[in-house]
Amino acid sequence: MFKVSLQELEEKAYRIRRNLIDLMYQSGSGHLDTSLSLVEIWLALVYSEFFRLNPQNGAWDGRDRVFLSEGHACPVQYMVNADLGYCTVEDVFAGFRKPNTPYQGHTKRDLKYGLENSNGSLGIGLWQAYGQALVIDRFVFCIAGDGEFQEPSSQSLLSVTHNLKPAPNYILILNDNKLAQDSQVDIGPIGEVAGLYGWQVIRVDGHDFHGLGEAYIQAVNEKRKPSLLICDTIKGKGGDPQNEAQLGFHGRPPKDEAEYRAYIDGLEAAREA
Amino acid sequence: MIGLATGIAMAGKRVVACDMSVFLHHAYGQIRTAARQGDDLHLVIAASHTGIAVGPDGSSAHDITDLARMRLVPNFKIITPWDGRHVRQIVKVILEEKGYYYVRLNRPNVPIFLKEPMSFEIGRAYRLNEGERVTIIASGDKVFNALQAAEELGEGFADVIGIATLEPLDSDTILASASRTGRVITFEDHMYVGGLYESVAGLLAQHKPTPMRRIALNRIFTTSGEPDELAKMFGLTTEALVRFCHEFVEDR
Repeated sequence: MFKVSLQELEEKAYRIRRNLIDLMYQSGSGHLDTSLSLVEIWLALVYSEFFRLNPQNGAWDGRDRVFLSEGHACPVQYMVNADLGYCTVEDVFAGFRKPNTPYQGHTKRDLKYGLENSNGSLGIGLWQAYGQALVIDRFVFCIAGDGEFQEPSSQSLLSVTHNLKPAPNYILILNDNKLAQDSQVDIGPIGEVAGLYGWQVIRVDGHDFHGLGEAYIQAVNEKRKPSLLICDTIKGKGGDPQNEAQLGFHGRPPKDEAEYRAYIDGLEAAREA
Repeated sequence: MIGLATGIAMAGKRVVACDMSVFLHHAYGQIRTAARQGDDLHLVIAASHTGIAVGPDGSSAHDITDLARMRLVPNFKIITPWDGRHVRQIVKVILEEKGYYYVRLNRPNVPIFLKEPMSFEIGRAYRLNEGERVTIIASGDKVFNALQAAEELGEGFADVIGIATLEPLDSDTILASASRTGRVITFEDHMYVGGLYESVAGLLAQHKPTPMRRIALNRIFTTSGEPDELAKMFGLTTEALVRFCHEFVEDR
């Protein structure tokens, strides 16, 4: 199922969470809790056996695409890409949210660094990804947020199968962490609606590598319909357990030594459990 | 639609996306996000039904702010063709050169007034009539009115500059003409805010302060009416331009 063992994936997830906490504690800004909710989703995807990429030649035509539509989650994108060899972790630490680096506060498209799309404003990247899926013969994955689905342009994508045509190589990954910036989010019957519009809808625990791996295989094996993966996740997963699934931490990383320690302690405790 | 078009362009395809201009308001975030994807894209947005010339559909359909909006989006070149033949020539050129383009099209029957296929260079303005008393700078189909006015004003009166590229603006041609005549009138089917008038005014203010007049729409919502009726109501006619030129020249 994966190019590496489950144990190695767990180790990578730990390392990336640690880097994310350090990165955003150091920078004093950035969206830590959203990033933490996507670690397994992203790692399971790029380490799936079918997934094609070439970190030495980021613009390689034969690559599978990963669009990030909820652009504030870019720190996890940078750290996964560093793990894959597009850049080094040190590069990300040195350049994060600094002028004219590849590691902006929201992604700036740069294929060399594995950054598929410039993002930021919500409800847009998922359409760009769909456009791309219509004209290339590789898989196009797109990660979107549940809060992002409050944007009408996100919801209207579901009807693209009828209004335009189904792109079976399109896999929309919905990060259902139940929290937007300042409110709780309930995606409601999005799965049912997508099903009515002819999508393959798959529900999966977004922190379970094995389940994610199976879901991705099911998605890429579908030859007629686009797929919607609704990933049940926890915002802030694997950091300070007090802050997991809590409002008030969107774009607010630990601000002092005590808060930072609580994140690291939570991470270490989760690892030992 | 612009999101889809952007994604296709990001896959290395040459894309032309067309819509009625006023509906592109909805797509502004998508357009801005498109322009942030890098310099390897080839994306043309063609907006039809611009200006009051749309007529009876009324204010909701009159897009008189599109140039202003697009000037705020870096990387887009803004093209304002003058007639149908011009559109054909321009499209040939911009399909050969990568980049982001916004092409402002019209709806009404505008005469094909360009006798010969003109040369078209992106970023170049064209001096279409030579005169000493006043400079008329027009964009889009208003170039037709500008040439009509120049003819009525008589030989040697109006220097006519046709703008086919609003961004980037051809500073040299405009400054040279302003230096010759000392008076500049702009003429556009667009709100004066952020369109041709303010582009030219900004250029002149910085490099060659020159008395100016404008024929453009005020900061208003318009109304239903036949295109000719509306042009008269808002002063966007050849007659108004001729009158303006005389008044302007006599003002000194």
